[in-house]
Amino acid sequence: MEKILLRNVDAPESHTLAAYRSRGGYRALEKVAREMSPARVIEEVKASGLRGRGGAGFPTGMKWGFVPKDSPKPKYVVCNADESEPGTFKDRLLIEKDPHAIIEGTIIAAYSIGSHTAFIYIRGELAYASQVLQKAIDESYQAGYLGKSILGTGYDLDVVLHRGAGAYICGEETGLLSSLEGGKGWPKVKPPFPATHGLFGCPTVVNNVETLAALPWIIDQGAAQYAALGTEKSKGTKLFSVSGHIRKPGVYEVEMGYPFKRFLEEDCGGVPNGRHLKGVIPGGASMPVLRADEIGEVRMDYESFQAAGTMLGSGGVIVMDETTCMVKAAWNIARFFAHESCGQCSPCREGCHWMEKIFWRVENGQGESADLDLILNISGNIMGNTICPFGDAAAMPAAAFIKKYRAEFEAHIAEKRCVISASG
Amino acid sequence: MLPVLYLAQAEFGYLGTDAIEYVAKIMGVSTARVYGVVTFYTMLNMKPIGRHHIQVCRTLPCALAGAEKITALIKAKLGIDAGETTSDGKFSLLEVECLASCGTGPMMQVNEDYHENLTEERVTEILQSLK
Amino acid sequence: MDLVKLTIDGREVTTTKGRTVIQAAEEAGIAIPHYCYHPKLAIAGNCRMCLVEIEKMPKLQIACNTQVTEGMEVRTQSPKVLQAREAVMEFFLINHPLDCPICDQAGECWLQDYYMQHDLRKSRFIEGKHHDRKREIFGPHVVFDGERCIKCTRCVRFLQEVTRTEELTVVNRGDHSTITLFPGKVLDNPLSANINDICPVGALTDRDFRFRVRVWYLQKTPSICPGCSTGCNISIESYQNRIARFKPRINEEVNSHWICDEGRYCFHALTEVERLASPLIRQEGGLVPTDWQTALGTVVSRLSAAPPAAGVLSGRSTNEEAFLFAKLLKQLSPQARMEVFYRERELTEVERILKSPDRSPNFRGIRDMGVSSDGGFEPLLRELAQGKFSSAYIVAEDLLAQFAAGQELRDALAKLAFLVVQDTHLSETARLAHVVLPATNFAEKEGTYTNRKGRVQRLSPALVPPAGVLQDLEIFGRLLSLAGAPSAPPNSREVFSQIAREVSRYQGLSYERIGTQGVQLET
Repeated sequence: MEKILLRNVDAPESHTLAAYRSRGGYRALEKVAREMSPARVIEEVKASGLRGRGGAGFPTGMKWGFVPKDSPKPKYVVCNADESEPGTFKDRLLIEKDPHAIIEGTIIAAYSIGSHTAFIYIRGELAYASQVLQKAIDESYQAGYLGKSILGTGYDLDVVLHRGAGAYICGEETGLLSSLEGGKGWPKVKPPFPATHGLFGCPTVVNNVETLAALPWIIDQGAAQYAALGTEKSKGTKLFSVSGHIRKPGVYEVEMGYPFKRFLEEDCGGVPNGRHLKGVIPGGASMPVLRADEIGEVRMDYESFQAAGTMLGSGGVIVMDETTCMVKAAWNIARFFAHESCGQCSPCREGCHWMEKIFWRVENGQGESADLDLILNISGNIMGNTICPFGDAAAMPAAAFIKKYRAEFEAHIAEKRCVISASG
Repeated sequence: MLPVLYLAQAEFGYLGTDAIEYVAKIMGVSTARVYGVVTFYTMLNMKPIGRHHIQVCRTLPCALAGAEKITALIKAKLGIDAGETTSDGKFSLLEVECLASCGTGPMMQVNEDYHENLTEERVTEILQSLK
Repeated sequence: MDLVKLTIDGREVTTTKGRTVIQAAEEAGIAIPHYCYHPKLAIAGNCRMCLVEIEKMPKLQIACNTQVTEGMEVRTQSPKVLQAREAVMEFFLINHPLDCPICDQAGECWLQDYYMQHDLRKSRFIEGKHHDRKREIFGPHVVFDGERCIKCTRCVRFLQEVTRTEELTVVNRGDHSTITLFPGKVLDNPLSANINDICPVGALTDRDFRFRVRVWYLQKTPSICPGCSTGCNISIESYQNRIARFKPRINEEVNSHWICDEGRYCFHALTEVERLASPLIRQEGGLVPTDWQTALGTVVSRLSAAPPAAGVLSGRSTNEEAFLFAKLLKQLSPQARMEVFYRERELTEVERILKSPDRSPNFRGIRDMGVSSDGGFEPLLRELAQGKFSSAYIVAEDLLAQFAAGQELRDALAKLAFLVVQDTHLSETARLAHVVLPATNFAEKEGTYTNRKGRVQRLSPALVPPAGVLQDLEIFGRLLSLAGAPSAPPNSREVFSQIAREVSRYQGLSYERIGTQGVQLET
């Protein structure tokens, strides 16, 4: 398969403008600038079938189409580079190795909605990646791809790199906007939606790094080429970050619809040390875990993961072998969400900590028989009732671990100790 | 706001009440607003931290890769618990959530530098190099 | 105005476009439980208590942030909604200390109320409760209990949006979130105590009212704040014939949902005084008790014998009292000059949100009733100090206490041929009087005030006057009879009817028309 997103990352000095250009970089932008109207770009992206790669999978072209064309307010494009979903490290790779693809994609997105200021919100911990990206932005300005009258077209665009400061919730698009506005990363109540009332109340499109990085190839090679890849509803390729008990962890580019089992066993080399697979989280820590016996027919696209009762999410594949204590794994994730809950709305603020406390008790031999149903109930009470998707993100994995590994949880409670010897 | 807080933190070392008052003044906002922001983000510190600020990832992928052992080793070597600073102010230790380095766990961040694929030997070396 | 038709719980409701479901429901008399929503504050959407089911929407929606649309079908009592509400209640209560017996909010706590309606089940929470700061003093009027707080941020939003003083914020994340002041700051803006009113739970309570009375014993009387001429609508809440607190009463034309701190606590100074129990009359050696007949007779004979007279009426006197006072003074002393007490002070920006610069809630109405000569209060006072009057009738203003540099005034008052002071207590000024008439305070009388902007509003008696005193209105009425004038109507309501006949701007008004929200005079 031809690589689209990872086409440059292994090239020497791939993060430099020179290397990027020598490999066809900014060709798409030149095409856009010389031949394509904004409406035409949006049509092309719609035709490609590209869907948001941050987790929700919303069609990108459609998202852009929601931005009002006649708004007197400034419009903004925001690149969501706040990669924080446990198990996910694909955006970091792109930022460090192929920053110009992100910048080029950002320019194309901004051009198509008529924005003259774009922000790249990068998580604060990624200091090195920030330096690489800032250098690339500077190079891009010098080459005339950013700033006044880009490529002589009369179209102006500034790109501002903004560092976060440590908060998972800023990956949620309205939390990100609150943070960018100078506040706590509190998600906003919707409606209104960012397309009409986003950053500083102005029309805003927020796109993930991977989404934007796919744009240059789509424009350059044509939407049809992209749409020819993947399945009926999940087009193109997707990056998967693979971690945990796996022989070859790392970032993989996979054509949508690729068999999951084959991916894990062949591409990633399978579970090491002669052990067996116990479970795998396919889409980052906020997605329901799959048991080993559930992955046989699963394919790596939005629909197939959904049919299997989980979601593609961010493509963060966390592999767990038979030595893993699923109670401890569930507690680890519950602790993550309790730590990262912004605290704004009641079900999430109270519910995440409550579940974390119960998981801890069960893992530490203090579980009670009612605890498992209680967690399922709490998780159900959070689901769908919060300001932002964080509530669901915390509730779904908690419920899934119990439903899929109930016997192991019950054994912990019955024996009043962790029944799995190895750490997890 | 965050860029200004970063500058202030670099200048003052941490964001105590004086620094917050200063930032509020130059930003033309209330001290309460700045205070709320500072306490929201894990990278903004209201108290001094060690010269070498060690943050070990504890989230699931790193935990599966053995992060607990790494943390235990660092605690033993430095004689401090997570959330504490050595008495000489040289090291502070924090257990943190996912740092987007899951494929190369266990990992830790010392100030701004990532150290990945950690082993106990490697951690010992790194700590020694920092002394 | 565009109208929208929708159904709520099967009932057809018509409302204005742009309204939210919670507003449309309220208009239709359907209460949707909520904590963070407040009609005067920005939508926060954080409590999740107002979740309702809307046809064709897969998830429950918060009623406070959902605009009505034509044909919308809303269910506020469906099993799904009730379950979500119970869940939210449970989330609020797991870390709550459940200290109702010692909580001052008990009886007006929304957690209690909604628990009774929606949860009523045993706690499933067996973990250790989260601890937070207790009894933290936020400012002169506000004390905070972090463990009772539900983080609805009403207080934070009030201070951001109404006073714009921003003293409070939410710090930290997750279940460590808590409301706090920036270290070293004090919450002492002039409207600070309103956050006690809007706090739906026992997190913010009023230091002045705390632990004085359990709220279910309070008797509530709609009235008008006597603090200044803004005329904020209040509820006087009393217990055992004492005022326990003022609460703002909603009036969008005047004070919306708020009152200022100065107004809120002004009842202490106005009512907590040592009350006179009978009229006093000057004899050799000082003031001695006398009977009403002697006192009133003396006022009529000596005031008319010592022209010209000066009349000073308190700004807290009612229109009805002023109407009779003006008639009385003209009857007794045709050259009399009279004014309502009026003085201004500088206000800060935050004070100006509600406060007027004076302390005379009814100065405008009193002038309308004819208690005003050309010069205004200050010239009258100057002339009084300069000895240009032979007698004076001063009602419910301690002029000597108001004017510190008043030696000249004191001497002048002492030299008057006759001074009558009518007040609730023996003020400094009253000590110089020849006759002192014990009367009532604002909370003991019926009547009307006309605020600075010309809105006529009603006072209602919340307290019973002590034995031995007479209503000001009755005093003036009896004096008028003694002076040979046509007899005055027997009560405030009928005096107002006479005002409505005789004072052109008040034509056609009645207590019924004024109601609880007042009537704006035409300019």
